Amino acid sequence: MSTPPVAPSPGTAVTVPARPAPSRGRQDDVFRRQFARLGWGLSAPALILIAAVTIFPIGYAIAMSVTNVSATGSGFSLSGFTGHNYSVMFGAAQWRYALFFTVLYTVITVAVEVALGTLIALVLERLTAGRGWMMALLLIPWSMITVINAQLWGYIYNPTYGILDTIFSHIGLGTPVILGTRVPAIAALMVADIWKTTPFVAIIVLAGLVMLPQDLYDAAEVDGANGWTTFWRITFPQLRPTIALAVLFRVLQAFGLFDLPFVLTTGGPGYSTQPLAMLAYNTMFRDLDFGPGAAVATSTAALVVIGCLAFLRVFRAQVGDEA
Amino acid sequence: MHIVPSGRRGRPKLALFTTLGVASVLTLAACSSSGSGSPSSSSSSSSGGSAKASGSATSGNITWWASPITTTSPDPRTVLIKAFEKAYPKIHVSLQSAPTDTDTNRASLITTISGGAKTPDVYMGDVIWPAQFGKAGLAVPLSKYLPKSYWNTFASGLVSGATYNGQVYGAPFYEDQGFLYYRKDLLAKEHLAVPKTWEQLKSEAAELKNKGLVKYGYVWQGASYEGLTCNFMEYLGSAGGTALNSGNTKATLDSAAGNQAATFMRSLITSGASPSAVTTFQEAQAMSAFATGQAAFLRNWDYGWSYAQTASSPSSVVGKVGVSPLPSFSGQPSPGTSNIGGWNLYINPHSKNVAADLTFIKWMTGTAAQTTLATQFSEIPTVQSVRTSPSVVSKNPVLATVPKTRLIPRPAGTPQYAKVSQAIYTNINSMLSGSSSPSSALKTAASQINSSVSSNGL
Repeated sequence: MSTPPVAPSPGTAVTVPARPAPSRGRQDDVFRRQFARLGWGLSAPALILIAAVTIFPIGYAIAMSVTNVSATGSGFSLSGFTGHNYSVMFGAAQWRYALFFTVLYTVITVAVEVALGTLIALVLERLTAGRGWMMALLLIPWSMITVINAQLWGYIYNPTYGILDTIFSHIGLGTPVILGTRVPAIAALMVADIWKTTPFVAIIVLAGLVMLPQDLYDAAEVDGANGWTTFWRITFPQLRPTIALAVLFRVLQAFGLFDLPFVLTTGGPGYSTQPLAMLAYNTMFRDLDFGPGAAVATSTAALVVIGCLAFLRVFRAQVGDEA
Repeated sequence: MHIVPSGRRGRPKLALFTTLGVASVLTLAACSSSGSGSPSSSSSSSSGGSAKASGSATSGNITWWASPITTTSPDPRTVLIKAFEKAYPKIHVSLQSAPTDTDTNRASLITTISGGAKTPDVYMGDVIWPAQFGKAGLAVPLSKYLPKSYWNTFASGLVSGATYNGQVYGAPFYEDQGFLYYRKDLLAKEHLAVPKTWEQLKSEAAELKNKGLVKYGYVWQGASYEGLTCNFMEYLGSAGGTALNSGNTKATLDSAAGNQAATFMRSLITSGASPSAVTTFQEAQAMSAFATGQAAFLRNWDYGWSYAQTASSPSSVVGKVGVSPLPSFSGQPSPGTSNIGGWNLYINPHSKNVAADLTFIKWMTGTAAQTTLATQFSEIPTVQSVRTSPSVVSKNPVLATVPKTRLIPRPAGTPQYAKVSQAIYTNINSMLSGSSSPSSALKTAASQINSSVSSNGL
């Protein structure tokens, strides 16, 4: 789910081998067409495989969302064309809340992760000794499986033997039930997410930082710019495409939030921490309502794609203005 | 650094997507037509099977899908399989261990079976699944193969709980229900009686906690999950209420009884009798709080007894624990209602060996297997003659309590039960955490249940 919007650019770069040269006559055109045909022929097996494992399930999910689906002992039977699944979804308070929660969660965690990640990257860039060690250390949270991560945070948040519980009661703050109360539960999930994925943002931003040309900094130094001005006038504008990429990755992932709340809160208290992906899962595989579940999944995917395209458009315009 | 491909590269991509889109639609069409063709083939194979499948096959290989029954060693599943293979040497049973989380277990089964998998042949599933699985064709109607005399061997109520639309889908394997566990030593020390009413339980729990004898008074399952529905049903039943009408078409929990139940549950927390952390407790958390001596009272299933008695568990309460039926509300019939839980054995409709499956199920629900389950693993047998056998009862004090309890089923007669239960536990859970009042939680739950049973809600 996170790959399609980003992957095609390297992919197409391979399948279209040469930048089209100015046409010099019919002979060239024939060659080019033959070459293109060969290219398509050679990449067809891979493309068909991709179609089978990604496009087909996506198409099937979309089809399920607009038909009457019934699960039988021998697979699904789809019949008729209907808007019922979507009308059920739009009418459900649960869906509206899940959408609100997912957007809120995405906006806050991505914003904090990008801010913190950029700060960490700036520090790492200055670091000469031990940068490798620091990066390895930072990547530990990122490299851990989220479910394991969530279990570890579960020990911290646990209301009877949790570390936070012990600390709070020792400093006389009582025993808050973090995962059982709405706002603290949401905040707890966000903290666990930020802890895990900030290093990822930091590494991407660092990669962008080390590629920035030195001459602009030299010029800024000659002009007597201070560090603050240098960052906002030189570093940040040039980093924008890198940050955009980091934001894109993170938004895609945050919007698909599932494993953290699945382990830590199972969506509770009430529906407070039930994101869209979990709602889709529950609707499909707990309630066996495959039609409305597919509607939730399809609409979520559509929202992410639209959001990312809009975001890219805005960012490209900005980059273009400065070029 | 370009993150968006230029327009020049865009065009072949568009063509590619169009091609693939067309291809996928075509594949889809091909697939759905094959899908619509298969029900007839499956029904013909199952009707072909019915001729020979009567539970008399004595050879074949079958796969049994079952989640762990106890955490103790030896594993009851392998013990039972070994004994079965001894009785039927030509039938080989391989165990497929299922997830311990019931919802994950169900999701795996649903995707496996609706995908057409031939294994597992026999699966152990929750007692609340028959309507949902029966409606979706995920289980074989066993009553087509097994005679009435077989179903009559079970304790009353169990077979009707496994019935949907006049067909029995699951063979009751072992039963479970809610019990009250209490600390005999603490009650004796403070000269308190074993509580007969919920009000009495609340005041005793608060007293023992306030005197500093325990960290928590009364622990139970209040997290946002199926177990909370079980707990709620017990208070609701004790107060004389029901959750759904008899036709499973309308919610009935927003009543005086419902309000009494919900208000009391919240008061357990506000009075200090139960910790506020109980809103995150499932069985494991409640059990460990009680078994480590932190709580005076516990509501738990049948296994709570053996867990609290096992010396190898981190238990400081061995020999100090008593068990009784759940209390009732004062002025209501005593004892209170205990929720029915437990597991049935179901057959996968795609199984190639239904006759051997039936042999296995009949043996597992026969006297030998049921006696093993009851005496060696302290589960509650489903077969009436085993349940009342004096030699079995003498080995399992929980069984002596069983006849004294009053049972209440969950409203699982509707295929929409999962949503009904979810409406109950999410709203009660947020009410317990103080986010909503008991009356508004019940109103919301009722309206969600009503739209669920009419298939108009998520």
